Amino acid sequence: MKRMLAASLAAVMLTSLSACGQKKAVEKQEMDVTIDQIALGEDYTDIEADLKFLTHKTDVVDTTFKGYIEEFQKLYPKVNIEYEGITDYANDITTRLTTGDWGDICMVPTTVDKDELGNYFTKLGDKGTLAKSYEENMLNNFTYQDTVYGIPSMANVQGIIYNKAVFEKAGITELPKTPDEFLDDLQKIKDKTDVEAPLYTNFAAGWTMTAWDAYIDGGATGDPDFANTGLAKGKDPFADRGDETGPYAVYNTLYEAVKRGLTEEDPTTTDWEGSKGKLNNGEIGCMALGSWSVVQIQQAGEHADDIGYMTFPITVNGKQYASAGPDYNYGINCNSSKDNQIAAMCYIKWLVEKSGFAQGEGGLSVVIGDEYPEALKALDGIELVVNNPAEAGEENLFNDINNDSELGINVSGAVPTQIVEEAVSGSKTIEEMSAEWNEKWTAAQESNGVTH
Amino acid sequence: MNEKKNFKSWIQSGKVNRKLCIFVFMLIPVTLLVVFTYIPFFKMIGFSFYDMKYIGDREFIGLQNYMEVFTRKDCFQALKLSLYYIVASFIQLALALYFASVLSFKVKGSGVFKGLMFFPYLVCGIAVGFIFKFFYTRGFVLDTVLQWCGFNLDQLPYWLKDTSINNISVAATSIWRYMGQGMVMFIGAIMSVDASLYEAGDIDGANSFQKFIYIILPNIKTIIVLNMILSITGSLSVFEPPYVITGGDFGTGTYFVIMNKLAHESQKVGLASAMAVVLLILIMIATLIQKGIEKYYFGVGDAEPLREIRKRKKRLELEARGGAR
Amino acid sequence: MSKAKSKRIVISILKYITLVFGAFVSVLPIVVCVITAFKTPEEYASTNVMTLPESWAYFENFIQAWSQANMGIAFRNSIIILVCVLTGSILTGSMLAYVLSRFKFRGNGLVRNMFLFASLLPGIAMQVSVYQIMYSLGWINFLPGYIIMMCGTDIISIYIFIQFFENIPDSLDESAIMDGCTYFGVFFRILFPLLKPAIVTVMILKGVGVYNEYYTANLYLQDKNRLVTVATSLFKFTGPLGNQYNYICAGVIITMIPALIVFILCQKQIYGGLAAGAVKG
Repeated sequence: MKRMLAASLAAVMLTSLSACGQKKAVEKQEMDVTIDQIALGEDYTDIEADLKFLTHKTDVVDTTFKGYIEEFQKLYPKVNIEYEGITDYANDITTRLTTGDWGDICMVPTTVDKDELGNYFTKLGDKGTLAKSYEENMLNNFTYQDTVYGIPSMANVQGIIYNKAVFEKAGITELPKTPDEFLDDLQKIKDKTDVEAPLYTNFAAGWTMTAWDAYIDGGATGDPDFANTGLAKGKDPFADRGDETGPYAVYNTLYEAVKRGLTEEDPTTTDWEGSKGKLNNGEIGCMALGSWSVVQIQQAGEHADDIGYMTFPITVNGKQYASAGPDYNYGINCNSSKDNQIAAMCYIKWLVEKSGFAQGEGGLSVVIGDEYPEALKALDGIELVVNNPAEAGEENLFNDINNDSELGINVSGAVPTQIVEEAVSGSKTIEEMSAEWNEKWTAAQESNGVTH
Repeated sequence: MNEKKNFKSWIQSGKVNRKLCIFVFMLIPVTLLVVFTYIPFFKMIGFSFYDMKYIGDREFIGLQNYMEVFTRKDCFQALKLSLYYIVASFIQLALALYFASVLSFKVKGSGVFKGLMFFPYLVCGIAVGFIFKFFYTRGFVLDTVLQWCGFNLDQLPYWLKDTSINNISVAATSIWRYMGQGMVMFIGAIMSVDASLYEAGDIDGANSFQKFIYIILPNIKTIIVLNMILSITGSLSVFEPPYVITGGDFGTGTYFVIMNKLAHESQKVGLASAMAVVLLILIMIATLIQKGIEKYYFGVGDAEPLREIRKRKKRLELEARGGAR
Repeated sequence: MSKAKSKRIVISILKYITLVFGAFVSVLPIVVCVITAFKTPEEYASTNVMTLPESWAYFENFIQAWSQANMGIAFRNSIIILVCVLTGSILTGSMLAYVLSRFKFRGNGLVRNMFLFASLLPGIAMQVSVYQIMYSLGWINFLPGYIIMMCGTDIISIYIFIQFFENIPDSLDESAIMDGCTYFGVFFRILFPLLKPAIVTVMILKGVGVYNEYYTANLYLQDKNRLVTVATSLFKFTGPLGNQYNYICAGVIITMIPALIVFILCQKQIYGGLAAGAVKG
């Protein structure tokens, strides 16, 4: 009897190995509709589709996004959308993309090379046409050979979020415009107030260190081509320029702030959750985060009016700039059925133009003509610098050099992490470190065909 | 009718039955092993010969990745950190064995003690990073308890920032988490020891310590040796504690943390695979050495240790020579 | 008091001191979790981790954690997975151990070493390849597929069974075979029942491992409404910009309680087994 049991158990397991057909045949479905051709609420209102949307914003899937689905269904009643929030988004999404049938809409990850975009995502339109409705320089991230594959959900400005009351108490009347002024101001805060840290780096969270890489191009140089000519193709981009501008100035600011004790005592145990409340009620002076943080920090306590936002303190030839750039982009799976792709396009168009997502998150909308959100009105007057796209044929160059050098600019935060570690317990100076980075970068450039 | 009976008795006959039994019983485990472990393993070896990312084309570059593994400074540097974990795992083994032995006999409230000491293993991985970050934060859990014991706050170091001790801090969390598992495993193994042996020991007047050395230890040596092997290999390939608590920063990044960074952040999948293969070869060498020691000193299964066999042979030779004279 | 007796008392006291110390150290870090679980969201945002919550009767976090993370469905799925994986791996593990320890055949050492070697292979290094294999079998988001993958043998269970078999004398097998039993019969009728403590041990160890497994569950059981497990349910509260630890801690406590109860119940089983299950010569 028991013999039979063992044998049948084995048999069941073996057959189920073959019986489960969950795979779908994946092939690219040709599309001839582009996003600009759709008139929301008029075209395709009868379309039926069940869409799966992969998102990194796990925190609002059940709240804000549910509201969006309801609103959208007023125009397109037969389209069902199911959101799937992924926690470790950047890592997981790459694994899922390799299979080809991961859903219909996702936030395009930066790990996909430009020349691979067409293999995974649907063409949303031609850059020239789309630039009439959306800010052109925001479309560049996922455009290849003038075909746009991704549209930003919103745009961020990179600057410093600070507590106005703390700055006032420390006697700072004017916002700092150079790194030296900034460091002096932090010192004043340390001397005259009893904050836990004038500048809180939130080192332990990891992604907060990557945030520092965002300042080194446009905002630090005023040059929208810096990412290409200065970084990807330039010689020794991390060297000291002598005039308090450029990547060196940004990294040196972090180094000096940590070295002079103007940051938290123990970087290894910083608490992101708690820091939001502390910045709100004046226990922290400022933090280096993108504009998306303004709304979050305002909501973290009772002193929403004390929250201010300034651009990174660097002045180039007498002018101040702020790096701005698109946040995560929406992309559509080119392997989905034609109806799904069209329905997805309608939804994306609605999200970008009508949902109010960007403003709600404290970011800029990419639609031409939309206003700045309330929180960022203070940045009026600062020139926003958005990076220009790479030249044709060189789209992957920056990514390749970045990977080969292992500096992980905007990817891993390896550089700012090293800065904090060396400033706290290491022996290397900022000059030694930047010489190292230059060396690695040059070697990576050479192996990718860039010579000086 | 007749055929059926013959078939049945043929199956039940000694040799065929034996072979059938072996085959059927091994079929599923070995299949699962091959499909989910060995096939990916060979694929990974394949990856190590290419310069590749997760998405996109790959370029065959032969042994270049391996040369890079040996010439980079950070790879083998990270292996040194494994020493901390090896020491930690031996401490963990000793503690687990101690508590298992104590709790296998009549102790008041043993159920409660077992439950509490098993607690750490039950905590879901997600919360571990959170728990220990706050455990080691200045002035929080650990510092507060030490202050009760009379230490001054100023004397206490920064557990995770101070590079001279942060590896000890992280290795200690590994002991905390896995001691309970080891203890339960040893308790189970101790259960396999024939109870009548203890009675015999009592008659001979053995005390608890002697019972431990002469009755328990020899009878669970298979498990102990396995544990030692797993500890060493686990220490060489440790990943979760440093990754979850410090992300590998401030000098706590072990070999695997570095490998993971290379694969996911710099997209150097080929190089990361090569690193994994190199480590595996190291682990295999370490395991072979250990198995050699095991065979020599302890003996495998019911076989006698080689040491004893050699000793006996020598004795017999001496007697034969003595007798012949 | 005789010298021997006082010595024994001292040793006994020392023994209890070490036990208490061990228990204290084990529980201490979790204190943080317990404190956080009882705080209101405002308290959580404004106080640091060491301050006690205002009210220990604040159960809202637990209620929220249960409903938002779909814990009802999660427990159902986890129980299904647990029962299937434990049955599968205990059966196949003990069968394998039986063959490896009782029979001498040419592949014996090879198979043992294959399993040992496999346990040395690091999971993270092979994550992508395993995912591709699961995908080609069509087993992504497929509960039975996940269960079969998890049955994949782990070396500790096998070796516990082997250890047990080594301590059961061959004479038992031989007398059964002389009575006309087949090898299958020897296993199922005679030896398997004697493995009770080993089975309980493996149930505890592998059970906890499967119960707490969040990384692979997250990767292969992607549909969080249907296929959420207890471990992955807590992911609901981790976000791109920070985790809501008050819910996570409440959730963690909810997940730990049943496990602890089962563990304590199993203790009674083992105690019973110890008295009865010895092999008399």
